[in-house]
Amino acid sequence: MRKRIVMLELTPDEWTAITLSLRIALVATLGALPLGLLVAWLLARENFWGKALLDGLVHLPLVLPPVVTGYLLLIAFGRKGIIGAFLERTFGIVLAFRWTGAALACAVMAFPLLVRPLRLSFEAIDRKLEDAASTLGANRLWVFLTISLPLALPGLIAGMVLCFAKALGEFGATITFVSNIPGETQTISAAIYTFTQIPGGDAAAGRLVIIAIVIALVALVLSEWLSRRAGTRLHGE
Amino acid sequence: MLSRRLAAICLFAALAGAPLTAHAQETLTVFAAASMKNALDDLNKSFTEKTGIKVAASYAASSALIKQIEAGAPADIFISADLDWMTYGLDKKAIAPKSNFNLLGNRLVLIAPKDSKLSDVKIGPGFDIAALASDGRIATGDVRAVPAGKYAKAALEKLGAWAKAESKLAMTENVRAALALVGRGEVPLGIVYETDAKVEPNVKIVGAFPVNSHPAIVYPVALTATAKPGAKKYLDFLRTATALVIFERYGFTYLVKAGP
Repeated sequence: MRKRIVMLELTPDEWTAITLSLRIALVATLGALPLGLLVAWLLARENFWGKALLDGLVHLPLVLPPVVTGYLLLIAFGRKGIIGAFLERTFGIVLAFRWTGAALACAVMAFPLLVRPLRLSFEAIDRKLEDAASTLGANRLWVFLTISLPLALPGLIAGMVLCFAKALGEFGATITFVSNIPGETQTISAAIYTFTQIPGGDAAAGRLVIIAIVIALVALVLSEWLSRRAGTRLHGE
Repeated sequence: MLSRRLAAICLFAALAGAPLTAHAQETLTVFAAASMKNALDDLNKSFTEKTGIKVAASYAASSALIKQIEAGAPADIFISADLDWMTYGLDKKAIAPKSNFNLLGNRLVLIAPKDSKLSDVKIGPGFDIAALASDGRIATGDVRAVPAGKYAKAALEKLGAWAKAESKLAMTENVRAALALVGRGEVPLGIVYETDAKVEPNVKIVGAFPVNSHPAIVYPVALTATAKPGAKKYLDFLRTATALVIFERYGFTYLVKAGP
């Protein structure tokens, strides 16, 4: 056991990759949440022209090759990109080669995984409960915050954890958009990839693979537990 | 009933015959450094015209390629961008011993996007590349593995510019990716081979690294340990005048004494 622990000792580079991945995934999930809530609500409740198009756009990162998504992000948000150049000129914000750009790439790729469970949860809510609340005087926002959102909690938790896990494992879009800079954009996946390209880097790659699996498992088990707790409190079982 | 059986037999014969016809035409697999792409594409076409043997080429960083060959990738020929990875391949018995020879030389240059205000940068001791890049990054191959990155690091260390430059690098998985970053204007500077800069119209060379600031850039070529017998013809072709003309057209230095 002692030997295994020693073998698992991480170099500063590897530690940085892990903490950077966690930070990027967390920021990506929290950043995607407001828009995710809005889009899921719209798709679940409202009928409007272009609804199918919005649905399609939301799910696009799921089916496009990740490198394509990364390339589109580069064209749009790179230093010479349409939006990127504007952001740099007006606000001095640069996303290219920064961890914030990596967070954006992860958020875009994980967005459909956040919206899907959330939308299904919203659709499953008994409308009569919401109607009852509004007849009692609550405005739409209050109904949303006090009735809809708590009832959608299992779906919200599931969505957020899936989003976090996907953001943690994101590779193709991230490496295409913000490349692979240790300490800035080299996430666990990018670090593993780099180590497998360097002859003699297999040991380091192996360590990171184990860590990545452990983090993913912990996230999934936690989400299952939280989801079940939220479901129990809702249904009183 | 008879016609159905006849049809089945014909179909079976056709399918059984197909693999045989496929084997009749030999294909060689060449794993070559990314910087060789344009020159080698031309050369491979020329080789196929002359011998009728098809060539399938895979271009990537030499470090990635030798790793794949070591793991059993079915390559016949390996062309590396530095001697280290060829030596590594020989040590690991992935390369056929005594089959290697030095094929080409190259130069390391500093490039910028074609609309950059920089030009004519003097690269010598005390060269401050970090200051030149100001708030941008310097694109080059991964300095731990990719030959172009290794040469770049060696040159920057020799010139005393490494300490400040290290944190400003945008390291890519092969030299062509670094070239693309500069070509897109995403970074203000890049360190690539002279031959790369020549094939990318969106970049311009703003300086050349002194030849003595880094180990000599040598591209060795060799047969892999699992090379097909016909692969020797490819190596012989590399020594011909036709090959010399193609390589020099792209700006490589031809190191072989060209034979007949």
